[in-house]
Amino acid sequence: MADASNLARPSLTGRRWYRRSVATARILLTVAITMLGLITLTFFIGRVLPFDPVVAILGDDSSREAYDRVYRQLGLDRPLYEQFFTYMRDVLSFDFGRSLSSGRPVIDDITRVFPATVELALLSIFFGVAIGVPLGVAAAARQGSWIDQLIRVFALIGFSAPNFWLGLVGLAVFFAGLGWVGGPGRLSTFYQFDIEIRTGLILIDSALMQRWDIFQDAVSRLVLPVGILAYGAMAFIARMTRSFMLEQLSQEYIIAARAKGVSRTAVIWVHAFPNIAVQLVTVIALAFGFLLEGAVLTETVFAWPGLGRYMTTALLRGDMNAVLGCVIVIGLIFITLNLLCDLFYRSFDPRTR
Amino acid sequence: MTKHLSIGCALLAATALTLPAQAQTPQNTMVMAWNLDAISNFDPAQIGEVVTNELITNICDSLVALDMENESEVVPWLAESWEVSDDNMSITFNMRTDAVHPSGNPVTAHDLVWSMTRVLELGFGNAAMLTSYGFTVENAIESFVALDDHTFQLNLSDPFPISIIMQAVVSGRVGHVLDSVYLKDKEVDGDWANDYLTTNTACVGPYHLRQWSAGEVVVLEANDNWWGDGPATPRWIIRHVPEAGSQRLMLEQGEIDIARSLGAEDIISMQDNPNVVPASTLNHQIFHMSFQTGREPFDNDLVRHAFRYMFDYDALADTVMAFQGIPRHTVVPYGAFAALDREEGAPFYLDLDKARELLEEAGITEGFTASLYIAPGPFAPEVAQHLQANAAELGITINIEQMASAQLFSALRGREFDLTLSSWQTNIAHAHGMLERHATNPDNDFDSQLAMYPSWRKSWYRPDFNERVRAALFETDEERQLEMYRQLQLDHMEQAAGAYLFQQYNNAVLRSNVEDWKWHAFRVFYREAHKN
Repeated sequence: MADASNLARPSLTGRRWYRRSVATARILLTVAITMLGLITLTFFIGRVLPFDPVVAILGDDSSREAYDRVYRQLGLDRPLYEQFFTYMRDVLSFDFGRSLSSGRPVIDDITRVFPATVELALLSIFFGVAIGVPLGVAAAARQGSWIDQLIRVFALIGFSAPNFWLGLVGLAVFFAGLGWVGGPGRLSTFYQFDIEIRTGLILIDSALMQRWDIFQDAVSRLVLPVGILAYGAMAFIARMTRSFMLEQLSQEYIIAARAKGVSRTAVIWVHAFPNIAVQLVTVIALAFGFLLEGAVLTETVFAWPGLGRYMTTALLRGDMNAVLGCVIVIGLIFITLNLLCDLFYRSFDPRTR
Repeated sequence: MTKHLSIGCALLAATALTLPAQAQTPQNTMVMAWNLDAISNFDPAQIGEVVTNELITNICDSLVALDMENESEVVPWLAESWEVSDDNMSITFNMRTDAVHPSGNPVTAHDLVWSMTRVLELGFGNAAMLTSYGFTVENAIESFVALDDHTFQLNLSDPFPISIIMQAVVSGRVGHVLDSVYLKDKEVDGDWANDYLTTNTACVGPYHLRQWSAGEVVVLEANDNWWGDGPATPRWIIRHVPEAGSQRLMLEQGEIDIARSLGAEDIISMQDNPNVVPASTLNHQIFHMSFQTGREPFDNDLVRHAFRYMFDYDALADTVMAFQGIPRHTVVPYGAFAALDREEGAPFYLDLDKARELLEEAGITEGFTASLYIAPGPFAPEVAQHLQANAAELGITINIEQMASAQLFSALRGREFDLTLSSWQTNIAHAHGMLERHATNPDNDFDSQLAMYPSWRKSWYRPDFNERVRAALFETDEERQLEMYRQLQLDHMEQAAGAYLFQQYNNAVLRSNVEDWKWHAFRVFYREAHKN
């Protein structure tokens, strides 16, 4: 016979399940509201910008008849609410319309250019974290020493030097001067037709084909843009790591640990570092989001066909379908990063579970 | 020791990995770097900018061609010969019988009828190349006639000079012969295959479009079915490199063969480099300032004329416009038929006292404020700032607003501007080409939306100029015609709604092993260029 109290109260597993369901529903609701807001915002941004979408398509010298025809084709003669619902329906089915800049569906363009940015961003954030975090910790551990000063100056330069300038100087020295790295573009002209695009990530595609000459060419062209973007990310991460770490190192539990005879290295990495992990995750996610959003100037100097350049070019041409498509994709990226951050918080900080 | 050795090996491997695999370009491929942002489609009826125009003229043959050595001379091409009727009202073209489209369909006169009719039906900017000479949607059936598969007749509504019709109509974008049989299958909702031709080509020419990745690359490959001798270089790769500095470094390293978007500083800095050769040709393109004459005080001829004395043309030509253009104050480009010579065509100079006098004569003594719109470009910001500084000395405040080209286009079409800086290019080496657009305005009513006429955009309407331009065009006595054009230009220079500033160059810097780079104001002949 079952215990009456057990029947009246949900079990521990049941309560957990309920809490998790509520939390998941809350997250999904937040995502849905954010996306709805983003779509609404992009629609109205598209309507208030001082571009005439018809002129952007036809140029400034078409006949009145052609203008009227395209005006109707775009549905601009219909009421605003009708345009909005059509837009909402299309966006929710990932139909962002056709790009004026390429004549192709925007989603196809984004699928084409996004891997180029992902390749750049992933490598940049990897090196940015791998170098930035230890440097930030080292600077904090030796606060005020020459090492701290050196790291701070190094990070400050990375933080403040314009990527555009760094890119051109880097090309002049390492590509044109020393010939150590490849030039602008993702691949040499020689390999233009040899690569079989599967993932869009040239390193992976060339490795899958076992074409190590193409792989080497791609690496040689990634070194400079990745180096420059990683330097910027590293500078940001190192400065923030130093700041978080300094705060931790001044806490009483650190002094207590040192008083008990725990080594400095152990205090830093075993006691202090786990406590800055949550903040670091946020910083890294922000840096990664920025890199994915597109480092426009770096992509311009290095003729890198990525998302940032695609969106900037579209904006300058009044290609609003492409711009709004990119804005929504970037919004999705940030929402995804936020969700991932939340998951990391839960892993690192039991209080948030 | 072992640890150090491992680190050393890893570093060596990393260094080897980063070394560029290939530095030079393939021998059978010409690699050109250019800013390809302007490309948005490959439909000859819709193309309206320099980059795609250059590409399409190497992809699609037109009925007749401009001579490689002389931009004013028309030579047989898809039409092997032609006869003009005695009354100058009709031209009959005898077309080649051996020309075949890439699809295998023969090139016929019916293709040309369809191609020219669709330009009118679609009504994009290029339709004005036909409507300017009396061709309309309504009269297309009588105007464009296929007498048989290889005989095409062009019937005119007025006895226009045949040389102009040959240059403006049948040698240009509207005279490209498209594969009508193939394209009719690609039509969607009566769009004359415009959608298909946005990203594809279907015509006969020395090259075909193999690939266009927007913002990345355009690849042209030799068309094996072409009727002429095959091109000297079978493949062209045109890489999108928007930054001039990057182009220069790539050219110096031999990673590209031709750079097309270099600025004055880059060209000057490479002058002593034996591995590269600069090339330039004077375009029939004029960089100018437009005034909105529908707004005060620019409705006053004297005010607009005062602005012509606010530019130091020579100083600009030596600095920001070095390798970019020469001073030119008449709208008719140097090199066109009936153009004023270089001295008479550039009479203005910096003279702020003279400008002040003209403003006072116009009744303006207190100065005023105006907006100057400019699109992103290589030299417009510097020229705008130059004007801003000089105008400030006369009490005129110029607010410069740099904007996206789409925004500027919208402002121009809506007549919503005070001043703008932009360029305009004609497609014929004849005074009429520019005067017809800049000195005539068929209907100044806003609802007419004749935005293909810069004079309409500026609300500039002078019936006397309309008549004089037409009279000069139809004048048969050449000496008298030259004098009429001369007077037109002199009067237009003082009254126009534009201050014409510079005639622009088209620049390229080539690797020294590139030979037979043939070009002039209207064409670049890819089929001739090769590497030794």
